[in-house]
Amino acid sequence: MESTEDQIYVIIFAALFLGGIMSTFVVAMVFIHRQRQVQNRQKLDFIKSEHEKTLLNIENEIQQETLTHVGRELHDNIGQLLSLAKLNFNSQKPEKQIEGKAILGQIIQEVRNLSKTLNLDWVESTSVEEFLIQQLKKISDTGFCETVFEQEILLEEMDKEQKLVLIRVIQESLNNAIKHASPDRIEVRMMKSGDEKVILIRDNGKGFDTAQRSSGSGMSNLKKRMETIGGEFELKSEIGKGTEIRLVLPK
Amino acid sequence: MDSRLIQAFSHWFTIGANLLSIIGIVFFIKLPKDKRVNIQYWLPFFILIFTVFYENIGSYTNYNYDFKKAVNAYLGNTEYPQFNLWLYNVARRQLGVILYLLLIQNWLQPAHKEYINWMIYGFIVLVFALQVSGIQPLYLNQPIIFAIGANLILIGSGLYFIGMITHDQYLESNPLRLVSFWQMTIIFFSFSLNYISSVALLYLYQVNPVLGKALQDISNALFLCTLGAFIVTIASPLFPRIFEKEPSYGIN
Repeated sequence: MESTEDQIYVIIFAALFLGGIMSTFVVAMVFIHRQRQVQNRQKLDFIKSEHEKTLLNIENEIQQETLTHVGRELHDNIGQLLSLAKLNFNSQKPEKQIEGKAILGQIIQEVRNLSKTLNLDWVESTSVEEFLIQQLKKISDTGFCETVFEQEILLEEMDKEQKLVLIRVIQESLNNAIKHASPDRIEVRMMKSGDEKVILIRDNGKGFDTAQRSSGSGMSNLKKRMETIGGEFELKSEIGKGTEIRLVLPK
Repeated sequence: MDSRLIQAFSHWFTIGANLLSIIGIVFFIKLPKDKRVNIQYWLPFFILIFTVFYENIGSYTNYNYDFKKAVNAYLGNTEYPQFNLWLYNVARRQLGVILYLLLIQNWLQPAHKEYINWMIYGFIVLVFALQVSGIQPLYLNQPIIFAIGANLILIGSGLYFIGMITHDQYLESNPLRLVSFWQMTIIFFSFSLNYISSVALLYLYQVNPVLGKALQDISNALFLCTLGAFIVTIASPLFPRIFEKEPSYGIN
């Protein structure tokens, strides 16, 4: 009889023990969930702050470049036009006065154009395609090298932040080609690769050994920037065979 | 009215289950149409109604002995004509397990859903093999089938908890305000305690019927709690302040 009672107690304790384990398991799950939730929130906050930092850097860089551009325009273009206008207005000849007025009109137009570049609102009104065409035209107008633009796809409207990052990466990639590669030709293609939309920037310049790149180079910075907007940055280059940059756009 | 009929249907578990089914029907009718066609709500409702249906049939078999005897004889059981285990084996331990696995599958991420599909296929094959081979006759207690089914449900619950602590969308929510969390916790409790009680139940009935009955009552109470959890699931869209929207893995 005693052994039977013992067995019954064993069953009761086993059931209680199992119940205890179950309760502990569920409470532990909730506890782990809470911990992971905190970690996840910290991770998301970090990603958000990194994204904001990247955007801020990009805005600063663009503003810096804009100021340099404005300074150069004021000195080389508007300053020269103003001097010319002054010379014309100092003359007593009526045709010179008319020419002076025309130059003044040109100056007003130049100042208007320049003022538009002073804030970042142009990013919203300009499409990536328009920006690319504009940049390539600027390069070819200087006579530095030949440029080609091929558009096989239409891009969907991106939000301002994504566009800003993409524009900056494109600008930096083109600047690098001009500064370091001395190419005869720069080619940009907007195309589809599988289900991805891609911008391909290719030059036939000097190229470089990608294995020699240091971790802190501008290229890794561009890669990081593309990743913050959900895109990808791939680079292929060989000495003497030019450089190809593949920008996979965010979906 | 026949007093035997009243006696057969007057067990507190049967009365409780019938009351819960009425509450469940009321809440289900009150649900918006788009929720009623959503598997998250109609499957718990179906399980609730199915459970109450077979529990009432079970009570009826206790009233109509001739019917029970005839079914037992049809299945080849002439030794124990008073048993109605065939009903509980089919409804609770076989179809019930499959329905519970489908319910759990509903809360899992796509990769884990695939595991549940294989569990269901495997379970069907095993049940078929064990019954056809005569190892677990349909009209007698089926501890192996119950053990396999209970373990599959416990594994499924485990998969839910893994998803809960790893998936981003679950990490953003408060599990204590998720109906799926309470449903899975009660299923997890109910099946693990039922599992251990069923292992010891026959032995206990022999050596200490009072304790055996107490354990059976606990098991029945837990079963009612599970049905209660289904009612909470069905009613949850009507109480958006209490329950959070279930995180979605992108595929429903």
